[in-house]
Amino acid sequence: MVIYSFYIFDRHTECIYSKTWLPPPPAPGAQPQHDISTSTTGAAVASSDPHHHNPNTLRSSRSAVSAANKASDDAKLIFGTVFSLRNMVRKLGGEDDAFISYRTAQYKLHYYETASNLRFVMLTDTGTLSMRNVMHQIYINLWCEYVVKNPLAPVEHKGGAGVRNELFELGLNQFITGLIGQAGGQR
Amino acid sequence: MSSASKASRLGEEIWKTRIEKVNAELVVLTYGTIVAQICKDFENDYAEVNKQLDRMGYNIGLRLIEDYLAKSNTMRRCSNFRETAEMIAKVGFKIFLNVTPTITNWTGDNKQFSLVFDENPLADFVELPDDGRAQDQLWFSNILCGVLRGALEMVQMQVETHFISDVLRGHDTTEMRVTLVRYIDDELPPEDD
Repeated sequence: MVIYSFYIFDRHTECIYSKTWLPPPPAPGAQPQHDISTSTTGAAVASSDPHHHNPNTLRSSRSAVSAANKASDDAKLIFGTVFSLRNMVRKLGGEDDAFISYRTAQYKLHYYETASNLRFVMLTDTGTLSMRNVMHQIYINLWCEYVVKNPLAPVEHKGGAGVRNELFELGLNQFITGLIGQAGGQR
Repeated sequence: MSSASKASRLGEEIWKTRIEKVNAELVVLTYGTIVAQICKDFENDYAEVNKQLDRMGYNIGLRLIEDYLAKSNTMRRCSNFRETAEMIAKVGFKIFLNVTPTITNWTGDNKQFSLVFDENPLADFVELPDDGRAQDQLWFSNILCGVLRGALEMVQMQVETHFISDVLRGHDTTEMRVTLVRYIDDELPPEDD
């Protein structure tokens, strides 16, 4: 079993949590210490003195921005897809029918939706069995416990506020690692 | 099996196996203290106190619904408002307060019902202030109206809730009226290019 990525969307259709377990594509010339602040100074210098700028700095900042854009575009695309599929499924199969998963040659997408319109999406390899139950467990044991019951977390998670807390991250990591370990042990 | 008895079995089962219990007197005293403090803060303007209690309840309801869905293992929506009423009374109130209000007084269009509370754990030991106004104006357990309103809003039902009688005021029963205003549509993703 391989899990590629995991997304949570709220009832306002916003992506409030995403996590990928894929290694990020190596950016050409990017160095780890080039964070946003150094690259903006780089850009400022470049505009005043075009001969002085370091092309690598610019490129790495651009690729960091484009990676962030790509991630948010991916999330939007995924939401659009699952939302349309879910509506189509309900139209054909009746209000009680649920969209569960689809599979391509490369990956399998699993979908789980709560009655409060929280949507969970997980991308795995094609051979993985249904992850609906896994996502239901994430909802019950991690989301409810660490996000909803955290009295200081906001009710609406605009921009993902309150979701990415330490306990939730830790719990999710442990849970997923445990799953993969189990699946590996059975082989 | 009817949905009513299924709901009560489910409520009973969850209450027995999945709920951490807390001392009832702690709840009564905590809630009583909150109401007393709000009365003080708003100088016994009981209409305002009712409003504040409802608002607190609303904020609780927004979160409590997730706990309800998790504990009751709900995977699908109720198919109609009558089923919703059953689940509220026999599962919701059962697992969080260990009471089961009676559902009654349905209107013909199935959009309005009453919950009649034979016992109300929030109101044990309570006597309303003897200032001649509280008896007519304060709905002591008004927080419950808000909880219901908030919780149902999260599962896409807009409801209106209010108490119409309370034993604390000397009525024979404690009765809450719940009205379905509308089902809320799914939100659509924003259009972008």
